[in-house]
Amino acid sequence: MRRGYLDRAGTILLSDYFVLYLSLAYVAVLIPFLPVLSTPANLSNVLSNMWPLLVVAIGQTFVLTIAGIDLSQGSVAGLTSILIAILIATAAPEQVLGHTPVWGWLLSEAGGPLAGVSFGTWIGVGIVLAIAACIGFANGLAVAVLRMPAFMVTLVGLIALSAFAIWLTQSNNIRNLPDDFIALGKGTLVSLFFGEQYQAQLPRREVHAFVTWPMIVALSVAVAAHILLSHTVFGRRMMAIGLNREAAEISGVPVRRIIVMVFVISALCAAIGGLLYTGRLETGRPTLGGGNFLLDVIGATIIGGTSLFGGKAKILWTVWGVLFFVLLGNTLNLMNLSAFHIDMVKGGVILAAAFLDVSRQRLRRSRT
Amino acid sequence: MIRPFRTMTASVALALGGAFAMPVQAATICFAFQDLETEFWVAGHLAITTTLTEQGHTVLERNANEDANRQFEQVNDCIAQGVDGIILIPQDGESATTIVANAQDNDVPVAVFNRPPSDLSRGIVVVADNATIAEQAVDYIVDQALANAGSDETLNAIIVVGDLGDPNAVGRRTGFYAAINKHAERFNVIEVASNWDAATALSNLEAAVTANPQVDLLFTSSDFLFPTIRSVFEPRGLWRQRGEEGHVWMAGLDGDATACQLIKDGYVDATGVQDLFFEADAALQAILQAIEDGETDPNQVIEDPGFALTADNIAEREMDMWGCVLLAEGFLD
Repeated sequence: MRRGYLDRAGTILLSDYFVLYLSLAYVAVLIPFLPVLSTPANLSNVLSNMWPLLVVAIGQTFVLTIAGIDLSQGSVAGLTSILIAILIATAAPEQVLGHTPVWGWLLSEAGGPLAGVSFGTWIGVGIVLAIAACIGFANGLAVAVLRMPAFMVTLVGLIALSAFAIWLTQSNNIRNLPDDFIALGKGTLVSLFFGEQYQAQLPRREVHAFVTWPMIVALSVAVAAHILLSHTVFGRRMMAIGLNREAAEISGVPVRRIIVMVFVISALCAAIGGLLYTGRLETGRPTLGGGNFLLDVIGATIIGGTSLFGGKAKILWTVWGVLFFVLLGNTLNLMNLSAFHIDMVKGGVILAAAFLDVSRQRLRRSRT
Repeated sequence: MIRPFRTMTASVALALGGAFAMPVQAATICFAFQDLETEFWVAGHLAITTTLTEQGHTVLERNANEDANRQFEQVNDCIAQGVDGIILIPQDGESATTIVANAQDNDVPVAVFNRPPSDLSRGIVVVADNATIAEQAVDYIVDQALANAGSDETLNAIIVVGDLGDPNAVGRRTGFYAAINKHAERFNVIEVASNWDAATALSNLEAAVTANPQVDLLFTSSDFLFPTIRSVFEPRGLWRQRGEEGHVWMAGLDGDATACQLIKDGYVDATGVQDLFFEADAALQAILQAIEDGETDPNQVIEDPGFALTADNIAEREMDMWGCVLLAEGFLD
């Protein structure tokens, strides 16, 4: 009988939906103490906080799959944020930005070079994604061809790209972004009102955004990544590299090409996430992606179940991991804990997730 | 450490309590701040939370730890919790503009304390007249420096600039140049970026002083950088009292307890004073009035005229500066 319970617990632990069950249980336990948790306003916040993080975490999932790590994602997001703002801003104050290296030839009081240009926003987005892809390509080359450790290569990227982004605007933020770009970060397609309409004008506070452009972007990236990772030869080759790079090479897997492509995907995801955050905050920020951003990205990915040792990952796991991580931050906020306490709890949860990863590996081995 | 904290609480509550008597019913206020790195923010935070709590209001505190996105999310969480109003100390002017607009779009009144949004047209904005206050403080040290220099001597002046994404830093820089440019031919100006970060200020100031060992005058955009300046100046023999050979004429802005002590000790000559108690009082009155009136998007700029405390007027005006009040209460003991 006891054995049966243990078996069932083991099965739940190994399930694709384990973290989703965990999230639901977490919410169920907390709702009696935090009724605001289940209000439409709060659910709308949780979803809104989830989308940009999910996109970046998907990129990290790819890198972890091949037993690598990409620490440069935060600085790629920051660089992307400031580059897109330089390109498409519709105005820029000389008093603030006049002393920056981009002033006069790239940025002026009339804004960036793509201000007022037809499809300027989308041209700008294309340019910064291309730049991000180049960064990922360089990271990938260093890891795949020069056989440098991913940790070291991307750590250098983290420091150097972040410094470059700050240097470009001398630490200043850039506002005056066009409306179509801001819509990318916070535009709403479907808003919902729950309750009885008792007045002609619905109170704005009770109308909640649920289907948003960031949601469309993030889910599109997630679906594409899921197909790539779980239903293509490319995905199977990634898993093979993560499990044993030497064996994959001997088996004829084009290891170098795959590794380079994985780092390009990671940088592209970081850039898309950076664009969503930039639109959301309506400001290009060179410091975007700093602070605890990487902790959130890697933490959410690992909590989902992607193995730190490589060779085991699913996009669905990352979706649940990000959901749990965002829920965690949200509930700790609602409990009125300070930022420091929240970070301590998050750190503890990530440590628990890493321990869980090891336990699941053992359990899986014992069952095969 | 506990005693100064307690006495500070008492003095802050006392300072606000006298002027402050709102008829509003108990409200839930979200107080979202970016960090408490400087004495000004610590004292401002204490003034606001103590006064609100003592009046029976509920305060939800949110510390963003210098992360603009986190502050955006925290304010959204506050709105979901159904707060009646928001008091915001933003990370910078740009994020303030976004957060204020977001709060007002959700029919929640918001007051911004001391660090104004880059767009002043929305929200209750309580802000010091940084340019004028800085100009007054710099005028004083410019006059002193020129009076003590040869008539044809060109002097080296350093300005430690804040984060120019913050309108406060822009105003202070403007005030500095307004004073310097009255004697533009007499000064060679060296700008040192701090981005409101002591480590950045330290490395940039060290580089500037190494390149220009002769420093005659210095203005720091915030008093909280005086300990950093001291650590750079002291080993180079530039940290000297008034009357000593090689004294660098120095002024700051904020009006904190450290600046008060340094003016008394003769190392610093002036500081622009933001009236912390007036600003906290004005922010609280305005937000509570908006809640009382059911006004969801009050837009108002409340300016703190401030003044310059100098070595010459400290005897008469000492207790007009919040930092000196805290110093007298033993804040630095």
